[in-house]
Amino acid sequence: MSFTTLDPTDFVVSSDSITAPAWSSNQPTLTTFYTASATSTGAITSDAFYLNVYQTSSAAAGAAIQFSIAYGNATGLGAPYYNIGVAGVTPSLTTYKQYKTMVYGPAVTGNQGFNFGGANTSSSDIWVINVDRNRYKESLFPGTFNIRLTGPSGELRLTDNSNDSNVISYLDCGRVFNIVSGSNGNASNLSVTNQISAGQTASGSYGFFLPDIGAIILNPRALALSSVYGGIGLTPSTTTNPTTPNSSVSNTTLYQAISSSAFFQLNSQETVSSNYVFVRIKNAQYNYTANPTFISGSGNLVYSTLINSPQTYITTVGMYNTSNELLAVGKLSRPLVKDFTKEALIRVKLDF
Amino acid sequence: MAYLSNTSVVIDAILTKKGRELLSKNDGSFQITQFSLSDDEVDYTLYNPFHPSGSAFYGEAIENMPVMQAFPMDNEIMKYKLVTLPRGTAKLPVLDIGLAIVTLKQGSSISITPQTLNYQGATSTFEQSGYVATLGDVRTASTFNGVGINTAEATAMNTTTTIGTNVSKTVIGTSINITATTVNTLFGTNTILYTLLTITGRDSGARLTVPVQITKTS
Repeated sequence: MSFTTLDPTDFVVSSDSITAPAWSSNQPTLTTFYTASATSTGAITSDAFYLNVYQTSSAAAGAAIQFSIAYGNATGLGAPYYNIGVAGVTPSLTTYKQYKTMVYGPAVTGNQGFNFGGANTSSSDIWVINVDRNRYKESLFPGTFNIRLTGPSGELRLTDNSNDSNVISYLDCGRVFNIVSGSNGNASNLSVTNQISAGQTASGSYGFFLPDIGAIILNPRALALSSVYGGIGLTPSTTTNPTTPNSSVSNTTLYQAISSSAFFQLNSQETVSSNYVFVRIKNAQYNYTANPTFISGSGNLVYSTLINSPQTYITTVGMYNTSNELLAVGKLSRPLVKDFTKEALIRVKLDF
Repeated sequence: MAYLSNTSVVIDAILTKKGRELLSKNDGSFQITQFSLSDDEVDYTLYNPFHPSGSAFYGEAIENMPVMQAFPMDNEIMKYKLVTLPRGTAKLPVLDIGLAIVTLKQGSSISITPQTLNYQGATSTFEQSGYVATLGDVRTASTFNGVGINTAEATAMNTTTTIGTNVSKTVIGTSINITATTVNTLFGTNTILYTLLTITGRDSGARLTVPVQITKTS
């Protein structure tokens, strides 16, 4: 017999959480930031909605989008009208409502905006850092988000508050953590005027860290505060119907704030499911082979010493279905000796 | 005294072409139920029972051989299977079809009934589970099927039709029927088409490969 039926206990399914730096080439910290040239056609293009950020020159080999920056405004400010006859309907309005729907779902309707707490329970605008899917794989890894922003009033170090939270909050987009001043998932102990809690401001938190949808939403009202109140004086453009259809000043403002600090840390997280099959080979099994160099044309063993002490060398393990169809195959790094005095246990790993 | 190793050998397996096909079908046919072992790449003429350093070194040249990576072509890997036989076995099972080469004229047919020699104490026997036969280029045959094994998987394999390109076809049976193609265009300017027929005993693991020649008649 050349096949052995596997027992149900020979199969083990294991799901392991794998975390790794999110950025290309597994850089732990992204320190260089590049954008591609904006398109120059007259119509509204994607540049009016978001700004892609690369780790190297966008034309260089290996360049890949790391994240995108977008600005959303509840009244459509800071972006050109789609149609001059419909005032206020702009890419920034689309972005705001798009993220509002995604984050809150049916829980928030009408004019209720993002609730960052403090004096900003219905924020009129948001900045979004949308991490590329290839970078974050399955989800962002809470506690690894560290970003530095430089504005007119200085530098701010932000993180998520996942290590300070005993209870995880959920919205329609999954887990939600507040973004606070601090590092490695902990709010800083530095107090600022009128702060509502550690690491936050009078205008609430600095935003939301949304690991399950790979998005980071920043609160422009907190960033716009002066340094004494915990902000950096960073303000988005709120011009009504600006004349440049193919760029967003607000996107560029946040890009420059990130680029100037040159420090953005983030890890990805994914669950890899592996099937393990335990191949158990008993002493009396598989001691002969159909290898043509093992036998002569008539089937006689090539060496008489092999008759009572046969020795074979396992190089390949094949996994079959009941139709004897070969579904998966694995090779050993070197031949494994098998004879009547040896048993072997081979663990075959199949990743999906 | 030293510590005993409690580790098992761990290998990463890849899906074969057939495995990917069945996985994509998502009909439950991708279900691993059994395993087999092979010693592809090993040349037992390297085994040296006269090694001057003694029996521990008989397999030295084989044991130090680096093994190549697995590849997904299921017809080209797991060719030489290890088999379980009683200790003291002096002759191993081999297949016999009574032909060294299969020669057919266009449109003619042949029924091949393999036998297994030296298996389970019998000089010659027909394996209970039948034989798996693979024709290297299915275009060379207008009919290629197996008969005599009526299990669901054998029936499914025998009725599978592959359209078009130069691909192999595998069937199961105790007898294998081949009818040579009548299509002239396959010959081009040649008068003979060549392909290979590989037959494997489903119980014994014994394997035989014979060339197939189709001769043009018109």
